[in-house]
Amino acid sequence: MARLDRFPEPMRSHLADLPCPSFQTHPWITGPELSKRRVSLISTAGLHLRGDRPFQSMDGDYRVIPETAQANDLVMTHISTNFDRTGFQQDWNVVFPLDRLHELAQEGVIGSIGAYHYSFMGAADPASMATSAKKLADLLQGDRVDAALLVPV
Amino acid sequence: MGHFLETEGIATTQISLIREHTEAINPPRALWVPFDLGRPLGVPSDKGLQRQVLVAALDLLQAAEGPVLADFEHRETEAETTGDSEPAAWACPVSFEGPADDITDNETLINGFRQEVSELRNWYDTGLGKTGRTSVVHFDPDSAAKLLSAYVLKGAKNSGDTDLSFGVALRLAAQDLKAFYFEAVTARPGVAPPDSNSFNRWFWADTAAGRVLLAARNRCSSETDKLLRMTGKMLLVPMDQGNQS
Repeated sequence: MARLDRFPEPMRSHLADLPCPSFQTHPWITGPELSKRRVSLISTAGLHLRGDRPFQSMDGDYRVIPETAQANDLVMTHISTNFDRTGFQQDWNVVFPLDRLHELAQEGVIGSIGAYHYSFMGAADPASMATSAKKLADLLQGDRVDAALLVPV
Repeated sequence: MGHFLETEGIATTQISLIREHTEAINPPRALWVPFDLGRPLGVPSDKGLQRQVLVAALDLLQAAEGPVLADFEHRETEAETTGDSEPAAWACPVSFEGPADDITDNETLINGFRQEVSELRNWYDTGLGKTGRTSVVHFDPDSAAKLLSAYVLKGAKNSGDTDLSFGVALRLAAQDLKAFYFEAVTARPGVAPPDSNSFNRWFWADTAAGRVLLAARNRCSSETDKLLRMTGKMLLVPMDQGNQS
């Protein structure tokens, strides 16, 4: 359903008017075949461990989610009221597919999954995300992750 | 984020929910999926579909060149194709005596609200005992109801046992209240989980809780605190219920 022309107003205009950054360059990193990749999830759903700090500001901060996290460990404090949360309430994999990723690793479809995964709140200013991405890249490389799957909400 | 990470040497692939946005940003690799906002992997508990989406997104890492924006092949249901938002088969089995549309005073509203919370609490506890999982984060149902009731009735700004500002506490209490209502009503025997449209229609039109959140939003609009005004304007009530953002 998530095509702009199918949203009712005022949501359609709100989404259509959101500023989207454009880039002059198109970086392209290659790597080994999928079955040898180490993959981490990066969500923008405002997810975090139950005991962690709720998302409050839009300054591009993130939360760390260990690969051992279970469904009941993870909660959502994204500020937006304009997306469905009932899917996440029924099955966390519909937003954060960590169980599915574990299965793909066990089957050898991917090489392994990162020790840590990350969540931001997607309403943040893209400029603030650039600074966070640099920090995140260091963390991912330190964890030998060579592929990141970005999941919106 | 994809562009920034790739610049730093991390290969990325991503799921796209709004194709027009992804076309504009043009990230290295993206898979557009035709699902509702909030459901990037498709359908809750549909492992097969979730796996297909995941593998299709990861397969883009094998693309020879980019940027690449692929479409996920998904046979849409009739409702998805038409954008039909009319109620499907789901009808909430919980029917509260109040609030009626003619309820105008907050005291009557809050009384109805408290009765709802009390009535639903049994099923919330039952569901939690059965699944061991809840999306309620900071405010248990009674605490959320207490915070919201005190604000709507008296303008009291009490963040409960948290050190959160009242604006943040109000938002989180509202989120927890909606999570509680969803989990309670779907814990009742024989109730299939509703789609988000059906649940929202019920919550905002037929419950005192929905009206309490609308009343809280209205009270926020007259606050002097900027954060609280913004919370009321944008963060308590969705746009399709009259949110002005």
